[in-house]
Amino acid sequence: MMRKSSILFQIYLVAIFAFIFAPIITSMIFSFNSDRFPTFPLGHFTLHWYETAFARPEVWLAFRNSAVVALAAAFLSTILGFATAYTDFRYGFRFKSAYLALALLPPTIPLVIMGLAMLAWLGRMGLSGTLVGIIIAHTVMGAPFAMAICRLRLQSMDPALEAAAWNLGASQWSAMRHVVLPFCLPALISAYCLTAAVSFDEFIVSWFVSGLNKTVPVMILEILQGNVDPQINAIGTVVFMTSISLVIVAQVMIFKKSSQ
Amino acid sequence: MRKLSLYPFVWRIPLMVWQGLFFVGPLLLMVAMSFWLVQNYRMQPDFNFTNWERMLTRGYFWDAYWVTLWRASLTAVLASLIAFPASYGLAFHLSATARRWAIFCLIVPFFTSYLVRIYAWQVLLAESGPLNALFGNAGFGPFTMLNSGFGALVGYLTLVLPLVVILQTFSLSSIDRNLIEAAWNLGASPRETLLRVIVPAAKVGLIIGAVFAFILSFGDFVAPFYLGGSKPPTLSILIIDTTKSGQQWPRAAVVAIMMIVTLFVVAFAAVGAAYRKRK
Amino acid sequence: MSNSSLALTRRKLLAGAAGLALTTPMLNRAWAAEPTQINMLAWYGHAEPDIVAEFEAANNVKFVPKYYAGGDNMLALIAQSPPGTYDLILSDAEFVQQLNAAGYIEEMDASLYPFDEFFPEYQNFPGHWTGDQLWSVMVRFGLLGVSYNSDVLSRAEAMSYNAFWNPKLTGKVGHFDWHLPNLGQMALLLGNRNPSPFDISQDAWDAVQEKTLSLKPQVGGYFDYGGTFSGLKNGEMLAMAGIGDWITGVLQKDGAPVASVIPEEGGIQFTESYSIGKGTSKHDIVNKFIQYMLSPEGQVKTIQMAAYPGLSPTKSGWKAIQAANPAEAERSGLIEGHDQSPVKLLKEGRIFFRDIPRQQNLEDWNDFWSEYKTA
Repeated sequence: MMRKSSILFQIYLVAIFAFIFAPIITSMIFSFNSDRFPTFPLGHFTLHWYETAFARPEVWLAFRNSAVVALAAAFLSTILGFATAYTDFRYGFRFKSAYLALALLPPTIPLVIMGLAMLAWLGRMGLSGTLVGIIIAHTVMGAPFAMAICRLRLQSMDPALEAAAWNLGASQWSAMRHVVLPFCLPALISAYCLTAAVSFDEFIVSWFVSGLNKTVPVMILEILQGNVDPQINAIGTVVFMTSISLVIVAQVMIFKKSSQ
Repeated sequence: MRKLSLYPFVWRIPLMVWQGLFFVGPLLLMVAMSFWLVQNYRMQPDFNFTNWERMLTRGYFWDAYWVTLWRASLTAVLASLIAFPASYGLAFHLSATARRWAIFCLIVPFFTSYLVRIYAWQVLLAESGPLNALFGNAGFGPFTMLNSGFGALVGYLTLVLPLVVILQTFSLSSIDRNLIEAAWNLGASPRETLLRVIVPAAKVGLIIGAVFAFILSFGDFVAPFYLGGSKPPTLSILIIDTTKSGQQWPRAAVVAIMMIVTLFVVAFAAVGAAYRKRK
Repeated sequence: MSNSSLALTRRKLLAGAAGLALTTPMLNRAWAAEPTQINMLAWYGHAEPDIVAEFEAANNVKFVPKYYAGGDNMLALIAQSPPGTYDLILSDAEFVQQLNAAGYIEEMDASLYPFDEFFPEYQNFPGHWTGDQLWSVMVRFGLLGVSYNSDVLSRAEAMSYNAFWNPKLTGKVGHFDWHLPNLGQMALLLGNRNPSPFDISQDAWDAVQEKTLSLKPQVGGYFDYGGTFSGLKNGEMLAMAGIGDWITGVLQKDGAPVASVIPEEGGIQFTESYSIGKGTSKHDIVNKFIQYMLSPEGQVKTIQMAAYPGLSPTKSGWKAIQAANPAEAERSGLIEGHDQSPVKLLKEGRIFFRDIPRQQNLEDWNDFWSEYKTA
């Protein structure tokens, strides 16, 4: 009986993944299609859109900008998110709900307004139009996601575990290092990847804050709003292939070790 | 030998400093902006309730408000319901390795720009598109899916579904297996186990997933615009429209604050419910 | 597709990947003197290679564009950026006055530009001048009328804005999502031609609102550029209000059965012009570029711009396109005496410059547009 339901669940999972990946695969198909506008029936096979897109140094620069921003913002978001989740898990203190509000508010702010407000604010600090500005904005936006993931993981940790380590003479710091962090490692990795993804996909705040330093989604936004050109499919496909390869590499390298 | 413990503050301070510097500032600026006036297409600092009065007395503002609220609620509920069996399957019917793969496959779509994915849905959902061709072969349709509430919903789900599955899976897979086995041993039916043991144990994750779905779809501009055809406009579209009357960012800020307050109330109520001890 | 071109592509991609690994500055040729960077704030397409590549190569400059998708975003961006961020600003004519009023642009030296080459109708463009002071130079324009799917509607049927109420189009009429061009067209339909569809009395404005609301059951959606392109192309929308050849011209090239006409009631002109950003230090090269774009060579490029086509305000531009691409000159009416010549239409009083409302507040128009969308 377990077997049969397992198969059912697997079918359901396939359906869900089909929904999630349908647009990605569609865009992949059209990235090789000769017609400028995506309609069926398809035109003929071409690499033209890849050639056009990747012959432009701006596109490479945008990729570099996006990668730098995503890696840095994910790093900072994960640290912030974990520290906050741990604080919420371990400690009660006065004004804790105000503290949590600070952690939870950012995603509630409409991005267009957030973009303008960030631009005005960072402009006053002399950071508008810089990659640092985008990193700051994305960290603000990503930290709540990291916190949610870390908090869920901590939820399932027995608080007695940490206490046991102290009783055995470990300092708080070494209990953190030897008990809490290892327990949270999967969550930390997921949080890092997810916040990197959120940053990599964000374009509205970036449009305002980035000035002349474009990231990939800002470039896609410009093409989509002004030109509608299959280059966006080509760029999207390359991003997808790159990220999925990284996932495979990460799986093989990180988890091979941990499962041994 | 009193030790002033640094330890708790190391974890507490970073968020306060960071958000204080880079988030509270812009937030307060936006609140202040909602009281500014626009003269000759430039914003002038002021303290004036005109913008609030003007926006909150418009019928179209409230129309958009209720539409947005309804759509976000629907998305949160649907996404949670659709995601749950998948998360359940991921948590209980897959090996840990397969689960890790699946989680990563759920994160990867974020890297493929949301805009690109929505653009692809435009093709798939078109009246002349492949889905309608499929329905046509089966003798149905064609259905109008683009530029409708349905189109927007597909977009919202594209945005939130992977995230909801991730959060739910995290929650479900951390449930103590002994708990479930105990329920089985005590003769609980699968249904009872699910409703009495699994759902309550995973409550936090389920609620947080739904909250994120609500928040993201409430604020999303892309799905209702590109797939919903702005029929009718949501609050995020209204913000953009408002700025088109000669730099009316202050009025847009009023709309934004109304959105933030709504989301905040919903989020806090939900998180409160999530952490409330079961009686 | 031959094998060799595939191989070449692969090599290019690999080379590109290697370049990325070594960080992209390596891609810039180190042997050339560092090119001067010109920061341009513009609609998409104005700093793409088809327009600027030759100028870049000849003058050792590099354009770095920031593309916007609406004049209001553009203004907000400038307002919050340090002065001197943008050397060159391309904007629609009605935003020039706002840029000027807010002090974001510099006065220009009229003697530097070939105004005697302009058709007289465009020499003193409203809003570009305050008295003798010049603030902006028109580089191209376009006309907005009825855009339609020619499989469904005949040209004769499209020759009036009443076409939008045609039962064949129920649920398939799209709006370009901006109040000015749409409501301007409605004002034209109701005969508000004197002095302009944007200069109308309160009664006329009430009538425009009522007429617009009656179109609601026909409407299939409200779109930006991308949405407008896809909507018309995949047949989701069969007619569009508020746009013109700048959209359908692109789709025609791609073989879509769409066209635009200026109906009997008249059409609306959008006008794109260059201004010099306040605080720039690159006046010489920026002026040289504006001169280049106004030269016959530059006008031929801008008329055929890949992102969206435009029309030329200069006589020499018309001659140049007639020589360089007679078919395009014929298609867009850039021939003196041509039936669809924009100058002829303007002289006949069938073209009106897009403007901000003169007797109502801009906010009133915008408020109504929001009401209409939620109605």
